[in-house]
Amino acid sequence: MSLFRAEGLVKRFGGLLATDHVELAVEAGEIHALIGPNGAGKSTLVNLISGLLPADAGRIVLDGVELTRLAPHQRSRHGLARCFQITSVFRNDSVRDNLMLAVQAHAGSSFRCLARRDAEQALQQRAEALARRTGLAEVLERNAGTLPHGVQKRLDVALALASRPKLLLLDEPMAGMGPEDSVQMVALIRSLASEAGILLIEHDMDAVFELADRISVLVYGRVLTSGDAAHVKGHPEVQAVYLGTEAGA
Amino acid sequence: MQDGAQHAASSAPDGAPVGVRARFPGLARRLPWLVLALLAAFPLIAPAFGLEYYVGFVRRVLIVAIAATSLNFILGYGGMAALGHAGFIGVGAYTVVALVEAGHSSAWLAWGGAAAVAGLAAAAIGAVSLRTRGVYFIMITLAFAQMLYYLAVSLRTYGGDDGYGLYTPLEMGAGLDGVHPQVFYWVVLAIAALVFALFSRVAHSRYGHALRGIRDNETRMVALGYPVYGLKLAGFVVAGAVAGLAGGLLASHNAFVSPSLMHWTQSALLLVMVMLGGAGRRWGAPLGVALWLTLEEVLKLHTDYWHWPLGLLLLLVVFHAPQGVAALFERRAGREAAR
Repeated sequence: MSLFRAEGLVKRFGGLLATDHVELAVEAGEIHALIGPNGAGKSTLVNLISGLLPADAGRIVLDGVELTRLAPHQRSRHGLARCFQITSVFRNDSVRDNLMLAVQAHAGSSFRCLARRDAEQALQQRAEALARRTGLAEVLERNAGTLPHGVQKRLDVALALASRPKLLLLDEPMAGMGPEDSVQMVALIRSLASEAGILLIEHDMDAVFELADRISVLVYGRVLTSGDAAHVKGHPEVQAVYLGTEAGA
Repeated sequence: MQDGAQHAASSAPDGAPVGVRARFPGLARRLPWLVLALLAAFPLIAPAFGLEYYVGFVRRVLIVAIAATSLNFILGYGGMAALGHAGFIGVGAYTVVALVEAGHSSAWLAWGGAAAVAGLAAAAIGAVSLRTRGVYFIMITLAFAQMLYYLAVSLRTYGGDDGYGLYTPLEMGAGLDGVHPQVFYWVVLAIAALVFALFSRVAHSRYGHALRGIRDNETRMVALGYPVYGLKLAGFVVAGAVAGLAGGLLASHNAFVSPSLMHWTQSALLLVMVMLGGAGRRWGAPLGVALWLTLEEVLKLHTDYWHWPLGLLLLLVVFHAPQGVAALFERRAGREAAR
């Protein structure tokens, strides 16, 4: 059985069918990439899965637990984590405080209101370990908002990792990145696959073909086809709607 | 520059402005105690300078500062711009009235009851209001507070529009009553200090960090797994209860309660004072309240048109210290640290 399954997901915005009976599965340790032209409904799908948008129909199951009716923060408790297409970090706080906040969410109650949080050594150590693993150890005390775009993107992924998720939703982690940063991000994502299933939404085709075990193509809210890189590259409809002349050339 | 200053200030261990500490080592840590000692000694030294009248004034400042501190907690740390905080002050004050009318005379019962009932009201109002955001939240908290206002107006038993006089002071017991004419002042001071210390402490706890995270980036907090609604509601209830406590104390202070306590302009004034002092800053609420009420008091001596200069002051703050007066100190501190 798959680690994660989305079955018959539907989302309508008025007359627009943004998500049209989508079926998706991610196996443990797999990187499943989701590609598709602008407006294909990729971000809507990520929001449906993470719970920021309610689905009109369908089911979402992660590791045997049905998440469909759960609030986003409850889905997070069951092992779902995401990063954001538009980098979403706490800009006015240091990288350390960002990581502390993420670690704190999954280690005991956040209603504790008298003890100093920063005195909790266990939290500090987990935040530092997270920083080392994501290459942020050098910038721990820097303000997140002052970091270069690529580093902020890495912090965004690090925040998602703090919960030790079973499934990681990466919504365009390479968006707006220079080539050097992309290389680092590809290496980071590859290293994560050993501990979590990954659903990767990405426009950078080089990165997708390099990373993905399986690729699904989303067009007008529907999954057009699904398969490995060779299958997708050779699929005539995919070439027509998405890869276009680039793949034909 | 400003970000740097904020960061420097927030990372200081006890939240005191960094620059003050740099210039006068140890002073920043002792300053709160110094202020507390001065305030405690004030009723004893005031007569020597003919300032007896101002003991009552300072008592009022302290009570309003309690309410403002609770508002600063949800506004400044939680990002909840509640425009109905005076409603909870009113609920507290009317709880005291109801208990007195029912024949109770214990001050602690009355004030405790004021906090409890206001907390319950905040739970009910917060449960609905916190489902909204931004302008809608402002409007819905305002609407609830106005409902409480008109409820108070309609309560004939408690005087309706005319208000209700509390002719005999509440009894504090434990040998406190009648020891000194200013015992109530010290009780208020002790409660204000306690409230301030508690909120300062909470700011650095897990809960305080979570609350600021929600203020800065709610969507991310949801995705990180925080029960955002529950966390906000908890803060809203505590702030409401503390405002209710302030309302109870205010009832004793004025020996009179009327619906005007919870008119929406009072809620707005409280917001203005917090923002003047510095929302989200440890000293923001007491500074804002002290500054506003003192200026009001002084200006009233000289002119009937005291609203004018206060308005000008507000404009000045908006343009030159949009983060509040407390931020001015911290910004100067940051500049010095950068040297």
